[in-house]
Amino acid sequence: MDDSGGRDRPYISMRGIVKIYPDGTLALRGVDLDIYRGEILGLLGENGAGKTTLMKILSGFLRPTRGLIYIDGKEVRFRDPSDAINRGIYMVHQHFSLVPSFTVLENLCLVHGRGFLTTLKGLDLDIVREKAKKLLSVLGLDVPLDIPVENLPVGVRQRAEILKALFIGANVLILDEPTSLLTPYEAKELFRFIKELAQKGAAVIFITHRIREVIEVTDRVVVLRRGLVAGEMITRSATPEKLSELMVGGEAIVRREIATSERNILAGKPILSVRGLVVLDDLGRPVVKGVDLDLFQGEILGIAGVEGNGQSELVEAITGLRSVLKGSVILNGVDITNKTPSYIYKHGLIHIPSDRDRLALALDMKIYENVLIGLQRNPAYHHNIIPRIINWDTVKKAARELIKRFSITAESLDAKARALSGGNRQRLVIARELSKGAKVVIASNPTRGLDIASTSYVRTILRELRDRGAGVLLVSSDLDEILELSDRIAVIYDGKILGILSREEAKRVDIGLMMGGVQAS
Amino acid sequence: MMIRGIVRISIYVAILSAILILLQELLGTDPKALIQTTLLAMTPLALAAAGEALNQRAGMVNIGIEGIFAISAIAGVYMAEVLGNGYLGLLFGGLVGALIGFIMAVVSIYGKADQIIMGMGLNIAAMGITPFLLRAIWGFPGLHLPPKEVLIQRLDIYGFQISIVTIAAIVIAIALHIILHKTYLGLWIKAAGEAPEALDAAGHNVNMIRMITPTIGGFLAGLGGAFMPLDFFGSITKEFTAGRGFIALACVISSNLEPMGSLGFALIFGLADALAPVIAITPGVKESVPYQFILALPYIVTLAVVAIAVKGRKLPRALGIPYSRE
Ligand SMILES: Nc1ncnc2c1ncn2[C@@H]1O[C@H](COP(=O)(O)OP(=O)(O)O)[C@@H](O)[C@H]1O
Ligand SMILES: [Mg+2]
Repeated sequence: MDDSGGRDRPYISMRGIVKIYPDGTLALRGVDLDIYRGEILGLLGENGAGKTTLMKILSGFLRPTRGLIYIDGKEVRFRDPSDAINRGIYMVHQHFSLVPSFTVLENLCLVHGRGFLTTLKGLDLDIVREKAKKLLSVLGLDVPLDIPVENLPVGVRQRAEILKALFIGANVLILDEPTSLLTPYEAKELFRFIKELAQKGAAVIFITHRIREVIEVTDRVVVLRRGLVAGEMITRSATPEKLSELMVGGEAIVRREIATSERNILAGKPILSVRGLVVLDDLGRPVVKGVDLDLFQGEILGIAGVEGNGQSELVEAITGLRSVLKGSVILNGVDITNKTPSYIYKHGLIHIPSDRDRLALALDMKIYENVLIGLQRNPAYHHNIIPRIINWDTVKKAARELIKRFSITAESLDAKARALSGGNRQRLVIARELSKGAKVVIASNPTRGLDIASTSYVRTILRELRDRGAGVLLVSSDLDEILELSDRIAVIYDGKILGILSREEAKRVDIGLMMGGVQAS
Repeated sequence: MMIRGIVRISIYVAILSAILILLQELLGTDPKALIQTTLLAMTPLALAAAGEALNQRAGMVNIGIEGIFAISAIAGVYMAEVLGNGYLGLLFGGLVGALIGFIMAVVSIYGKADQIIMGMGLNIAAMGITPFLLRAIWGFPGLHLPPKEVLIQRLDIYGFQISIVTIAAIVIAIALHIILHKTYLGLWIKAAGEAPEALDAAGHNVNMIRMITPTIGGFLAGLGGAFMPLDFFGSITKEFTAGRGFIALACVISSNLEPMGSLGFALIFGLADALAPVIAITPGVKESVPYQFILALPYIVTLAVVAIAVKGRKLPRALGIPYSRE
């Protein structure tokens, strides 16, 4: 990539950007950023560094508390995202901005028709469909246009978002952590694709906390740390160590620990065994198409795969949240196929769900109340004189202990769970689930969205569980996590297990290929 | 959608006809008179409900329809008498409703006020204001009869009397259906109710949409309010709205926030409204059942219909939740 051309003058300059949120959080403390045409700019930083905030300001979502934005040397003020869109700046948000109940086509109509004059115009469904199809074939993407977004797997939703950005002809494309849901293969495709885009003169801003990706795809990288620019480098001259140091400040953290390879998987019967499992999705289509799995005591079995290949339905079926069409699930000798979650939990299985805010916590209830979820029928938490009446003092005591033992940072027990940060929410969920003392743990994306400290804490706990003899089924779309923790790795693709590898024989490339549907030789 | 709406309406009409035939047999009422009254009773409900269905689609809620009915009715009659024109009175009633809807929207969006509480407040305030205005303007707290000249003339189609406002209400319900399901505005409205942040990200003004729909809804409720004294009753009494604003809300929720469906439910409730006085004076019934009980019929029907229809209704995700970016 030629990055000497057009470097004399930045296309966009942000100067002295300060952002204080209404609740007083100082998210940006004076950031200068230049963006050039035709470059891929990496915006690297830890969780909470201010990357998203900075880009929300550039895309018109947020107004800076202080600071100015210049395009081609002229000052601009964005009052709304529409002002930024009119300048060709579009941000693909991490949590997407698609209307869930609309089809992809309707979502595209949302950006197709804008302005007062279109108000009472009929929807141009045909025009939009034609344009979308053309774009899709040019990009080599596959996105179903007529299915409501809420019924699409997360990975496809992301493709729909990118389609939307290109649909409006964005020439400054901001991608907020775009690879977190993609397979290595899909990520490669995305990289190839944004490089192409940059070659055509667009600026791509690539937000990530993954150093490897920055090195792979960007031309230049700006590192943010605690609301300030910690450093800026031409990627060619950057090393992972240097970037990592800028990111975390001073001491670089060793992130990878090799999973213990010699695990004495107890011989004999598996503690959880899944046979010929077939499960339907919400639309009644089979998405788990005959899965066989055995989980043994004292192992972490990782399930690698791109989001949307049936893993969430698989987990829901095992944990009793979704009905099983065919096949069986045996837990510790007990048939738990199509049993209720409470039955399954009683027989020794706990679930750390991917969507913890929805499935594991009641965000608007107090922290100590959340500690009781799933344990409300346990007599240990009941009044010792009046049966079946909850003794809140006992609950609070238990909550206090858990908070201490799992280093949860909370203002008080009476605070709402909503007040906790992502990392602390997950710690709370794990603390509670582990207090149920189960032999099988199903963990779905247990570190998604967590900061480094919480991530390594959660991983340590999973390892400890394994070491104490529990069976851990780890479902994660983060391949690094799978590689780091698992004793065996199963790759799921299109509702089937493509293969199970032991830690020793697992090569990143092979797993990546299998995740993309290619059977490794 | 359109076809489903038409099918639905046809089903209502068929059921209604069956009931009418049955009634003619049982009570010996004149079906024509009954239909005429039914359509009159339907009109204010349909106007307000179609507007409120649109409004709730955008994630807003106005439960103050009852209050708007009362205030707009008085405003409409007053202006009709001042200008000597009933149609201008109707229009003015609508404008007053629109203003109330708009102000409530602004207060809820920018003042982050709770819309349910505001609507309740409006209803209660209207309960006090109505007798006060009646006395202040016309000197009678109980009843006021506007002069014949300002009342809206009914259309006469081969002896069948129908109000032009009734026709307008039907046309409006269809128009709102088309707007909601076929136009960009409708798409924006639905997005504002389902995922305002997505509407915002696509470069649209969420708060603008959320000020437009309460204003439209307010206008239609106001029109319905002014219609009652200027056309339906030909008079204005202290508690003439009699909970019709709440019945309109029942239409909205029963229809799953569909303007055309609201029209259908308004028809059902209109029939109950028209039927109650007829049944109450029917020989045989008159002697055995207290008439107050029969007059409660519309409300009992409302309760029953809502209880049946409300099952499995999926409300917009962001209903009643103010939108802000930070
Ligand atoms: N809506 C908000 N209100 C208050 N504080 C926020 C909000 N969004 C983000 N923050 C805070 O601003 C800081 C920067 O956040 P963010 O820009 O999301 O970081 P990053 O994208 O780098 O992870 C964090 O401390 C975060 O908690
Ligand atoms: Mg972020």
